[in-house]
Amino acid sequence: MNSQTKKVMVIGGGIAGLTAAWELARAGVEVALVEKAAFLGGHGIQYACKATDECQQCGACGVEKMLANVIDEPRIRVYLAAEAAEVTGDGPFTVTLRASGSQPGAVDAACGQGYDKDPGACAAARGYSVHNAVFYKADGGFDPDRVAAPETVTADAVVVATGFTPFNPDEKPTYRYRELANVVTGLDLERTKRIYGEVRRPSDGAVPRKMAFIQCVGSRDERLGHLWCSQACCPYALRSALAARHKHPDLDITVFYMDIQNTTNSFDAFYEKCRQSLRFVRTIPVDMYETEDGGIRTRFMAEEDGLPVEEIFDLVVLSVGIMPGADNPVLAGTLGIELGTEGFFARPDLLNTSATARGGLFVAGTAGGPMTISGAMASAGQSAAAVLHYLGRA
Amino acid sequence: MTAKLETAMEQIEIATGVLVVGGGMTGVATALEVAQQGYPVTLIEAGDQVGPAAESRPRTGLPDVQRLNDMAARLAKTDSVEVLTAARLDAAAGVAGDFKVWLSTAEDVLERRVGAIVVAAEFDTTPLFDAYGLAPGESVIGQSEVERRLAEDPRAFADKTVAFVAGFAQNGNPLVMQRIFHSVKALQAGGAAGVYVYVGDLKVADDGLERQYRLGRDGGAIYFKLRQAPAIAVSEAGAVIGFHDPVVRQQIEVAADCLVVEEALGVGPECADLAAILRIDIGPQGFLQSDNIYRFPVATNREGIFVAGASREVRSLPWALADARNAALRVAEVLGDGTRLVPRDKAVVDIGKCTFCLTCYRCCPHGAIYWQAENKPVISPVACQGCGICASECPMDAIQIGGFSDEQIRSQIGAKLADVNGDPAIVAFCCQNSALVAGEMAAAFRMNLPAGLRTIQVPCAGKIDLQYILDAFVSGADGVLVMACHPGNCKSERGNTYAGWRVEDAQRLIAGAGLEPERLRFATLAANMGTDFQAIVIDMEQKIRDLGKSRLR
Ligand SMILES: Cc1cc2nc3c(=O)[nH]c(=O)nc-3n(C[C@H](O)[C@H](O)[C@H](O)COP(=O)(O)OP(=O)(O)OC[C@H]3O[C@@H](n4cnc5c(N)ncnc54)[C@H](O)[C@@H]3O)c2cc1C
Ligand code: SF4
Ligand code: SF4
Ligand code: SF4
Ligand code: SF4
Repeated sequence: MNSQTKKVMVIGGGIAGLTAAWELARAGVEVALVEKAAFLGGHGIQYACKATDECQQCGACGVEKMLANVIDEPRIRVYLAAEAAEVTGDGPFTVTLRASGSQPGAVDAACGQGYDKDPGACAAARGYSVHNAVFYKADGGFDPDRVAAPETVTADAVVVATGFTPFNPDEKPTYRYRELANVVTGLDLERTKRIYGEVRRPSDGAVPRKMAFIQCVGSRDERLGHLWCSQACCPYALRSALAARHKHPDLDITVFYMDIQNTTNSFDAFYEKCRQSLRFVRTIPVDMYETEDGGIRTRFMAEEDGLPVEEIFDLVVLSVGIMPGADNPVLAGTLGIELGTEGFFARPDLLNTSATARGGLFVAGTAGGPMTISGAMASAGQSAAAVLHYLGRA
Repeated sequence: MTAKLETAMEQIEIATGVLVVGGGMTGVATALEVAQQGYPVTLIEAGDQVGPAAESRPRTGLPDVQRLNDMAARLAKTDSVEVLTAARLDAAAGVAGDFKVWLSTAEDVLERRVGAIVVAAEFDTTPLFDAYGLAPGESVIGQSEVERRLAEDPRAFADKTVAFVAGFAQNGNPLVMQRIFHSVKALQAGGAAGVYVYVGDLKVADDGLERQYRLGRDGGAIYFKLRQAPAIAVSEAGAVIGFHDPVVRQQIEVAADCLVVEEALGVGPECADLAAILRIDIGPQGFLQSDNIYRFPVATNREGIFVAGASREVRSLPWALADARNAALRVAEVLGDGTRLVPRDKAVVDIGKCTFCLTCYRCCPHGAIYWQAENKPVISPVACQGCGICASECPMDAIQIGGFSDEQIRSQIGAKLADVNGDPAIVAFCCQNSALVAGEMAAAFRMNLPAGLRTIQVPCAGKIDLQYILDAFVSGADGVLVMACHPGNCKSERGNTYAGWRVEDAQRLIAGAGLEPERLRFATLAANMGTDFQAIVIDMEQKIRDLGKSRLR
């Protein structure tokens, strides 16, 4: 394959973009990896390990691993805090990058006094991962040897891997997400565990004794017009719940759900474990009230008789789903490609779900629709293969 | 640099042929993709046709059946692809880049040399009548049967009431649901009088399924989501399905002309044999891939052997085709241009010390060791992952790992402990895939770590010899940590298990020497958890402060 001299731009540096970039680089292609945030790894790099006494295959450490691969790969040129402003041409494409406005963390200021002074700020300043640390100078700013400044790049093909936006619970106001300290999202929970190593409730930093997960927040919601299952939130909620129970065996956990989606091929055994240690209630509570000591009081219909029940939880986790990326409409315009009904990038060919309608432009990961980390990796590998195919023909 | 590389590396020849096992769409797509990259392919299929026709069920709902047939036709016309129908894989030998496979067809047994193998099995369907206490008959049929009848005659169920049951006899998966949604749609289009679906969990975690479900409901289909299977009474006239609704407090009964029973979708019967022949690990439910994130998406425990589609999971066709492309990418990486530079010293057997006990061959999790004609174990530098499990298990210490020889590791122990002064001296042997990274993260994030902590990198916890642990205590460590990946997260599958066993052995030995066994601890953690690393080492430091200095120090 004469792809040696070819150059491909990958937009978005989550697990899908990292995987696509790495696969392409290994096949001999020069890659420009453009990430809007000030760190690589997207959402996945902020997640915690969900192992109990064994790995639960959540894939989070795989993001860490792929990031390590990418920073070691000389064929990948990394642009951080950058985005595509303009795209012209029709393969090759000329892409003008501009600064996105994201700021690199001030590592010394945030971590200089030691991690424990402000773990959240330090983790964020470090881009959540030891591997992102290579991009920053100790005294602030990007290391120019590792991070390229926005410029105009010519690319033979472009992979769109700009990911998703977690559902914003403000759109479901009865959960009172912003008002009540101890109503958090799944993403908040992941970050807390990554930063502190355990589940804590925001109001007082204590480990909760009784917590609830509410599934399908923002997904499978007719009223919002979100007619899709986010695919990742059952897996992450159940794994997080099991991991939390493992760490704190007295923790009482309820999962409010509509339908439980599978994890991996081990799902049968996994779900059996869940059923033994978690309480499943097949209904979705709506209204949240705060008790004097910061507890969350909620009401729901009992499954047995349909009568209303009231219960108080120390912590309520909203299992927010995968929504189309916030930039999708603008980016679709810039790239001259379409969005599908749900607002993700359209993938019109069922037999090659990485292709867009426009030659030379490909999609990888949740930019194209909800999927898990393992799905995003398979999707990105497919995109890389499709790009190589395209370059071979070009 | 170049000179050094030249001495440490050698160029070896790689066979560029590829064997694809399975002639369904996954296999066809894999073969086409691989051939496109310029490698010759042999595709074997047990049945007598390839393409959609080789699959055990109709491809419902895909608008692209014509294109699937076109792909199969294109394959037949591709010169560099040899298609063998009514063919089986009888045996295989060798390693990545140099496999020998024996294929039997109706007439012949053929031998081929290939560099890589892709297993692209299709799934099997099993109707679950027994689990519902039903027998198939006029009014009770399986999912494949309703699909077959609808394909034959779109109005086969006109004016009939049809009910489906799913999710009570198995957890199921989105493809089980997708088939039902398609049938619901077809029934609605074909003038069915009523469609009822009784379901445990609606598995809608795949592209477009929630929307299809809603569309079916909007079209009049009625879904009952239940915790337990409904009561089913079958008579000549049809089936009566009933359950008690706790909310409205009444029994809800539906009389259906036809009851459709769900089907389990699982690995084909040939997969167990293939796993044995190819020496690859079998995962949950018999899939040819262990549930391990290092195998994402199409890898197996053996380099050069890949699994695509239903060989590794049951999902919809677009995902199986994504697998095919991933497999082709992996194949190209192994085969390259037919030559490969490999390190000479990845793992080397000193034949002078070897007693041919076979231990290494048995314990290598990556199937990287084979026996040469002169009855010598040889380690393939292409297939070997450098984990070092064989080196630590070899009773004769006959194997050394490049960069991690016994001498290299043992010499670090004393050197690293030399500058520990008053603090508790802790040696942490860290797997480079997990604990080492977590430790680097803890340090980079300036987490508070013990001053006397000294980490030693190993390629896999399976490389931590009993001797290293004892060395550490003899060299003055007050405590020793063996830090591995969580069970199920080891790249070499069992390296952490070996490490755990060796720690138990070592605890007995140090107890015999008068040391408290708590001074030695085995811990598992993930690469992304610097906080866990910190918690473990701080806890160890505290324990040692409580115990006091080692009496060997
Ligand atoms: C709370 C939560 C927990 C989850 N837990 C799990 C789990 O445990 N296991 C699992 O398998 N899945 C999990 N998921 C799903 C998982 O997050 C996704 O599958 C995965 O992150 C998808 O990767 P991606 O690369 O497609 O997208 P992202 O991770 O969203 O990455 C996209 C990247 O593109 C960048 N970007 C966006 N717009 C632009 C632009 N215009 N220009 C340049 N760059 C841009 C973003 O900054 C980001 O870095 C979880 C999801 C949620 C919401
Ligand atoms: S649970 Fe997730 S993060 Fe933890 S080891 Fe397993 S895959 Fe990695
Ligand atoms: S994965 Fe579970 S929680 Fe998420 S949208 Fe689907 S059913 Fe709801
Ligand atoms: S384990 Fe050691 S002694 Fe036994 S066959 Fe292998 S190299 Fe030889
Ligand atoms: S080092 Fe590991 S992969 Fe290599 S031969 Fe030994 S056991 Fe097998």
